[in-house]
Amino acid sequence: MARPLVQRSAIPGLGLSAGITLAMVSIVVLLPIGALLVQGANFGIANNWAVVNRERVWAALFLSFRLSFYAALFNLIFGVLLAWVLVRYRFPGKRLIDAAVDLPFALPTAVAGIALTALYAPNGVLGGLAQDIGWKIAYTQWGIFLALVFVGLPFVTRTVQPVVEEIETEVEEASATLGASRLHTLRHVILPMLAPAALTGFALALARAVGEYGSVIFIAGNIPLKTEIAPLLIVIQLEEFNYDAAGAIGIAMLVISFAMLLSINLIQIWSRRRIGHV
Amino acid sequence: MSDATIPQQGARANNPARFRRANDESPLARAILILLAVGGLGILVFAPLAAVFTEALKQGWAAAVASLGSRDAQSAIRLTLTITAIAVPLNAAFGIAAAWFITKFDFRGKAFLITLIDLPFSVSPVVAGLCIVLLFGANSALGGWLVASGYPIVFAIPGIVLATVFVTFPFVARELIPVMIEQGRAEEEAALTLGASGWRTFLTVTLPNIRWALLYGTLLCTARAMGEFGAVAVVSGKIRGQTATMPITIEMLYNEYLSVAAFSMAALLTGFALITLTLKTALELRHADQLAATRRH
Amino acid sequence: MHIDIDDISKEFGTTAALTPVSLSIPSGALVALLGPSGSGKTTLLRILGGLEFPTSGRVLFNGQDATGLTVQQRRAGFVFQSYALFRHMTVFDNIAYGLRARPRKERPPKAEIARRVNKLLELIQLPQIGDRYPSQLSGGQRQRVALARALAIEPRMMLLDEPFGALDAKVRKELRQGLRDIHDETGLTTIFVTHDQEEAMELADLVVVMSMGRIEQIGRPQDIREKPATEFVRDFITT
Repeated sequence: MARPLVQRSAIPGLGLSAGITLAMVSIVVLLPIGALLVQGANFGIANNWAVVNRERVWAALFLSFRLSFYAALFNLIFGVLLAWVLVRYRFPGKRLIDAAVDLPFALPTAVAGIALTALYAPNGVLGGLAQDIGWKIAYTQWGIFLALVFVGLPFVTRTVQPVVEEIETEVEEASATLGASRLHTLRHVILPMLAPAALTGFALALARAVGEYGSVIFIAGNIPLKTEIAPLLIVIQLEEFNYDAAGAIGIAMLVISFAMLLSINLIQIWSRRRIGHV
Repeated sequence: MSDATIPQQGARANNPARFRRANDESPLARAILILLAVGGLGILVFAPLAAVFTEALKQGWAAAVASLGSRDAQSAIRLTLTITAIAVPLNAAFGIAAAWFITKFDFRGKAFLITLIDLPFSVSPVVAGLCIVLLFGANSALGGWLVASGYPIVFAIPGIVLATVFVTFPFVARELIPVMIEQGRAEEEAALTLGASGWRTFLTVTLPNIRWALLYGTLLCTARAMGEFGAVAVVSGKIRGQTATMPITIEMLYNEYLSVAAFSMAALLTGFALITLTLKTALELRHADQLAATRRH
Repeated sequence: MHIDIDDISKEFGTTAALTPVSLSIPSGALVALLGPSGSGKTTLLRILGGLEFPTSGRVLFNGQDATGLTVQQRRAGFVFQSYALFRHMTVFDNIAYGLRARPRKERPPKAEIARRVNKLLELIQLPQIGDRYPSQLSGGQRQRVALARALAIEPRMMLLDEPFGALDAKVRKELRQGLRDIHDETGLTTIFVTHDQEEAMELADLVVVMSMGRIEQIGRPQDIREKPATEFVRDFITT
């Protein structure tokens, strides 16, 4: 006998909760994304490819992905360090630092964008300092990198922090009693334990950075082929009411997002299988 | 925790390593790591935060306050508050319904449903806006009909609400689902056997158990809803005084080189963000046990 | 190796975990530290292993002051109550860990490590489980792997913290004999902590009864049973 679609349950509210959930998921997620796919289908594979397969689009997609990768990599290292320091050490102002990690989640991206630009533009405080040593930050790829680091900052820290809290001190002590130096213990015992969570955080930060728009456009300079990110191309096409082209680039980005979502899930399955839990 | 209780006596030791417990890094390594963490966060987070307020107050308080009093600024503030007031309750209601549906019943396709709910986190806000434009824009069949009937969605408030709900979609549900899974179904079942109605069970048994998680998710949702830029930029049409939210107004002012006005509005939004952040931190400190075990957002 | 504990005291903040205690353990003995929780027995074990440092007093290994030795230098085979196996490593890698952690000059070649690990797997009578992860083992198997991991570093002594604490009654009995066998085979000075007087009496050559940071009595099991030195010992071994 086939498994029923819904198992019978004594708890009421099935109709109402299922109704609201499915209606909202349909209106908010399924229909809009479906509209993008239908638009792409109507436009045709060849035409979509022709839109995406242009130097300017490739440059933007590649730029978005490359800088997002670097920013997520930076956040991977800095985030693990931050999680370790916040869990293991005591120092004045620790609580403030802990709360500040979430600021990039709470601060509107447009605000972050203009604030970073004001700070790192050649006439800004930090941008001026950098200028003195011949380092241009705002309106170059460095600026984009910086904005992407900002928006991705909390992900790794927040996924790794609970794992650091959970490490039993006995495991570290066991390593020491077996003769391992502290550095050996960190490299061979602690980091491998943090790796699955850190990779999940990395993937989340990467996914966020690839799609990021608000914090980047102010500091990027937006020069085609050099500092133009993929989401901006969609906005430009939409402003020209070129829905076909916007849709084609949108689909390309959606494919990238799905690939990353899939990789996040695979990482989690892999780590659950190896260690017994995430 | 890992703090060493350093022996006062026993100074006979000629080896300083004796005073370090197995799980401690050397004081130098510790100091360097703390310095890197604080310094990095200072440059990356605190500096931009300070920049918002210094730029806003460059010409004094009067100029900053005056810029917020302009008609366009007032309309932007009203619009953002209105959008938030619609989108957040909608999302909270959805989050509760979805969490109830997912945790109280067993059905096929549950994993797929959860993936769909999570999906907006992985979609670029600009792509989200694009999808809404393609579905409801004037050149689509549905959009054309709606515009002709006098209910435009894109370049109007409903579109902004929809975009905002999209980007904040998972916040409440994601916070509630783990908490409700942890609490199981036994308490609700007990209430039902005692003769309580479904609504009564929900209000008197479930809701008290999930209230802090609900508040937590709602806070995250509010912060993001007020600040959403990319998706709203695409669907709003950026009509001054009509569909320009606070973040959109910031962009317009900034691009017109009205720096003080742009940063004043940014400072106001930052103030809202800091309030939510403070409330959120307070919740984490006081009710950590009743929040989801892994706080990710 | 014989171990001398010379007037060791330990304070955590203002509370005294050990008031000065002295104890001499002959080479090759199997010793139980017996007492209720809070008696200081685990603290004493951790001081021997180099995981805690005494507030005052000395630890002597074969008559030489070992108080200042780091945990790595002590080469004590320590078995934790929770076993503390490395979850992300196979059983083989867990056991090989201590050998691989040695500085390059002292590290045995790969084939030698494999030979020793396999020999230890046979010693604990689990020759087939090298490829498994700790999460795939039963409680009793985990305990034996922890034992093998500690033995792999060619320890100077074995220190075990409640080695049977996490096991059910039946497995506990089996593994007691296992520990006795391994002790007899290796001849290592072995000290284990327990709150179970039956376990201490049955397994150990020498029982050290502790309470509130003090040593109440040291003696062979039958001496303690027949001639309890204090009121506390009498109460503790009859309950």
